[in-house]
Amino acid sequence: MWRTPAGVTEDDKLSRTETRTVLLRSIRMASQFKWWGIATAVLVTVSVLFTLSGPLLVRHGIDAGIRRGDSGALNAAVVGYLIVTVLSYIVGRVQYLTINRAGEGFLRTLRLAVFDRLQRQSMAFYDREKAGVLVARMTADIDSLAELVQWGLLQFMAAGMLLVLAMFLLVSLSWQLTLVALLVLPILVLSSIKFQRDSNRAYLEVRERVGANLSNLQESIAAVRVIQAYAREEEQIRRFEETNRDLYRSHMHSVRVSTWYFGVVEFSGIAATAFMVGLGGWLVHRGSVTVGTVVAFVLLLANLFDPVQQLSQLYNTLQSAAAALHKLFGIIDEVPDIIEAPNAAVLPPAGDLQMKSVTFSYQGGARPALSDVSLVVPSGSKLALVGPTGAGKSTVAKLMARLYDPASGSVTFGGVDLRQASFDSLRERIVVVPQEGFLFNGTVRDNLLVARPSATEAEVRSALESLGVRERFESLPEGLDTEVRERGSRFSAGERQLVALARAALVDPAVLVLDEATSNLDPGTERDIEHALENLMAGRTVVVVAHRLTTVRRADQIAVVNNATIEEIGTHDELLALEGRYAALVGAWEASQPT
Amino acid sequence: MSTDPIATKSGWLLLRRTLMQQRRGLTVGVSIGLLWTIGKIAVPQLTRFAIDEAIVKSGSLLTWTLLILSAAIIAGLFSGMRRYFAFRESRMTESLMREKLFAHIQGLDVAYHDRAQTGQLMSRASTDLQLVQGFVVMLPLVMANVAQIIGVVIILVLGDPLLALVALLPLPFLNFIAQRFSKKIHPANLIVQQEQAQLATVVEESIAGVRVVKGFGAEAVMSERLRVEADDIQRAALAAAKIRSTFLPGIDLLPALGLVAVLGIGGHRVLNGDMTIGELVAFNTYVTLLIWPLRNIAMTIALGQRAATALVRIDEVLAEQPQISDPPQPQHLPVSQPGRSVGAVHFDDVTFSYLTDEGMVRVLEHLSLHIQPGESVAIVGATGSGKSTLARLLLRFYDPEAGSIRLDEVDVRQLPLRELRSSVGVVFEDTLLFNDTVSANIAFARPHVDSSVVRRAAQLAGAHDFITELPEGYDTILGERGYSLSGGQRQRIAIARAIVADPRVLVLDDATSAVDPTKEHEIRDALVTVMKGRTTIVIAHRPATIELADRVALLDQGTIVATGTHRELLDTNQRYRDVLAAWSAPEVGDGAVV
Repeated sequence: MWRTPAGVTEDDKLSRTETRTVLLRSIRMASQFKWWGIATAVLVTVSVLFTLSGPLLVRHGIDAGIRRGDSGALNAAVVGYLIVTVLSYIVGRVQYLTINRAGEGFLRTLRLAVFDRLQRQSMAFYDREKAGVLVARMTADIDSLAELVQWGLLQFMAAGMLLVLAMFLLVSLSWQLTLVALLVLPILVLSSIKFQRDSNRAYLEVRERVGANLSNLQESIAAVRVIQAYAREEEQIRRFEETNRDLYRSHMHSVRVSTWYFGVVEFSGIAATAFMVGLGGWLVHRGSVTVGTVVAFVLLLANLFDPVQQLSQLYNTLQSAAAALHKLFGIIDEVPDIIEAPNAAVLPPAGDLQMKSVTFSYQGGARPALSDVSLVVPSGSKLALVGPTGAGKSTVAKLMARLYDPASGSVTFGGVDLRQASFDSLRERIVVVPQEGFLFNGTVRDNLLVARPSATEAEVRSALESLGVRERFESLPEGLDTEVRERGSRFSAGERQLVALARAALVDPAVLVLDEATSNLDPGTERDIEHALENLMAGRTVVVVAHRLTTVRRADQIAVVNNATIEEIGTHDELLALEGRYAALVGAWEASQPT
Repeated sequence: MSTDPIATKSGWLLLRRTLMQQRRGLTVGVSIGLLWTIGKIAVPQLTRFAIDEAIVKSGSLLTWTLLILSAAIIAGLFSGMRRYFAFRESRMTESLMREKLFAHIQGLDVAYHDRAQTGQLMSRASTDLQLVQGFVVMLPLVMANVAQIIGVVIILVLGDPLLALVALLPLPFLNFIAQRFSKKIHPANLIVQQEQAQLATVVEESIAGVRVVKGFGAEAVMSERLRVEADDIQRAALAAAKIRSTFLPGIDLLPALGLVAVLGIGGHRVLNGDMTIGELVAFNTYVTLLIWPLRNIAMTIALGQRAATALVRIDEVLAEQPQISDPPQPQHLPVSQPGRSVGAVHFDDVTFSYLTDEGMVRVLEHLSLHIQPGESVAIVGATGSGKSTLARLLLRFYDPEAGSIRLDEVDVRQLPLRELRSSVGVVFEDTLLFNDTVSANIAFARPHVDSSVVRRAAQLAGAHDFITELPEGYDTILGERGYSLSGGQRQRIAIARAIVADPRVLVLDDATSAVDPTKEHEIRDALVTVMKGRTTIVIAHRPATIELADRVALLDQGTIVATGTHRELLDTNQRYRDVLAAWSAPEVGDGAVV
């Protein structure tokens, strides 16, 4: 088959030292599969020897058998050939399995290692990395190695081995004929190098055009309503034809690159035969070599040229694999910002949540997101954070749950610095419920157990019960085992939010950090959520990023966050009496109400 | 194949029609393939004569060498050209079919697009077409292969019938094995892909849901889920490897068995003096010449089967007839003249249902609404009450089940689609921007319009200021791969787009919903200007936007239950107050702080 060779962009291309590091590291990582690897190497050697012995047996059959009229020798050669052929099949089969064992094992190790490292990263990491890129690392990049594992490595080993052994064999048969055979090699090597370079460039060009064409297509399908509404179909079709023709042209460019190369390869192979006949025949006439040797050389020529061609094509694959591995190792090497302290303490079951002169900046943020903020949330009380977008209210909430660490100052719970707390106890005491009810693929139960995998059936039930939503979820067609479908598409936004709250109830934390939903919910669920929230918050310390006045009014303390500081703090009545920003805010809110 | 034979046939017909357009290129491709085959077959024959005549006997080595060299040049030349033509034609097929598919998809009605998934349509135009291309590219080669097989078999049989029979005996099995292999490996590969997709889902979720993962410390749960998927991939990949390991070395085994037989039987013939050594070597080489063509043919059959299913899927889309199309005898809209204003919209006794998974869902029932030329009417109603449906019916995205919609007294079904749609400008709630410059996005409806018109429209829509602050102003590329704007900014671009279109009737479908309430007044002024003297339908839930309209129509239970000004309805209609109250999310914080 004509496989399009893989390609590497200039940016991705690794230096020699980098390639060596990546290679050594991959080998280290694969060391647990070393016996599979060694077995493969042995089998590849054996199978290459078998491949080479075919023409040799033919030669033996001709020279020792046919030419000398010795039918015994001929029969021996035939039987030998038959045995080698059958053994070749068996060895070929086993080596394919052993390399795949090692390779797939390696890919699995790689997947687990990269994902494990991703899981350890803090929120700050996810703020700065693009989700699409991370997903691509775990999927496209690792999957792209699969081809190398399935074919490439084996081909590489076999081609390399074949080249070396074939050379060895040819030289030992006749050094004169070997020189004849190598006459065309320079052309082949040079054009392979050029082809490898050109086809890489052409491949990248094609890849880019495919991307542009696909995104044009996707855009036009997604926007079909707008296009039809403005009667712009013909325009769009013309536009698409342009990118489509561009793609066609780049395909053709890449074909032209390979056209002459494959021509040269074909030519070299036959030309080598021509030289072999001409010069080999001359040597036979001089008596330097036998006819059988020339015949064996003609048959062995393919074993010399195929590996050269294969190796040059594999070169691109190997390069792009090295580039992918380099990126993956980059992720594995990324040290998480937030790590568990050695000898971490267990947080007390209850206590005040306190921020002491905390300053914090997001990575790349010009100004600090919080500067010198101090706050106390007494055990069992509720703090509402209000203020404009980007003023820092969510940041306060996130720091209180140690999703980030402060640059200076500290956050403590029951007197223990959160940085000194064990991860387990931290997530048992302080739970964050994000704004959108995010559901994972799986059943409702799976989604609840995400928060606490060890919870029993009774605990799940009582968590739902405590929020007053048990009935609602158990009455689903398959109860808690109902699949939520893709990202919970089976449920309304409100219902998803309820699942999210139930997760928190299952953990039964001392502190609840809530980011209140801003989106409009259907009025029916809205009431259920209100009710569930009320139950969930009862008796717990709560920090809520509030968007609704009703929520704000219920809080024991209200903090108005603005410009990275706490501008006002107090109860609803106290803040109204201040006639400051909070009062203005409430005024604006009331004015926007329909009368 | 398990697919419906009629569908398969119509799929092949589609391919044949496309290939007929390219018959000249294909013919050249096949001819070159044949020439290449001849060159390729000539080489062993030449080599054989060379060995016999020039090496064993003492003919002219130089002549034979030059002969083989010229064969090398011819074969090299044709080998490259054969490849070139095969790819040229197959890529052309792919391109042509993709364009056809695209034009067809663009012309399909909105009801079709409601049902169809973008991903599905995308894969018709990408993956499926690639399968077709992968098959077409093999066609010239396979035809040459068939010729090669026939040629080689004839030479072998003429040379030595018995030896030929022995050598060829294992080869039909090769074809059999290759087909069996493709039948087995295909599902195994699909399983691997599915497992990979499942792992991708876990990764995507762990990133999209990182707040949940971090908030609950669920890292270990996610890692465990990933381990399960990684194990599944490994298992599936090894299962596929096992299938390959059985078949692939087998493909080498069979021809090798033929070669062993040639050496054994042929060797004895040479011993008996029935054959020359050169003939034996040539025979050997000919047998190897059959291996690749047979493999190719088997592979092409497998590719053909997959291409056939792809063609069926493509054909399904192409067979879909648009439900909304130009009338056979179209009428035209009356032209605007001084003293005669245009833009009257009449909904008369309109009933309409959407087709959903749960069957037909009635949205509008005997709805009537008359809008005077130049009048602005706000449509207010609860979620799902069918407000946006009015706009879609006016644009003829759908046709009503009963009743009629008239624009300036002409039934919209009697108008050419282009004329109707360029007379009605809609600003949708979910604003789609194209991967193009700001200017091009605004001038979407009239691409050749002067840049001053674009600017004026942007100014009117309150978009000019933020546009000039963009990195490259009006030349900034927007869209998925370009600069991303906020929801409110996007909506303002969409409003500017409608202004450039200068429609007879303007529909603002929740067009200000994403605009920051504090910025809404800026757009309000713009909207007032745009609406002046122009028939406008405003679908909105913010009192500030509703108040812009001359009249409000309350939509409930699929019909207009009340009309009047915003104030009148507020004062007199309880349902109206309820609907507005349900909409107004009491928000503090964002935006409310000026």
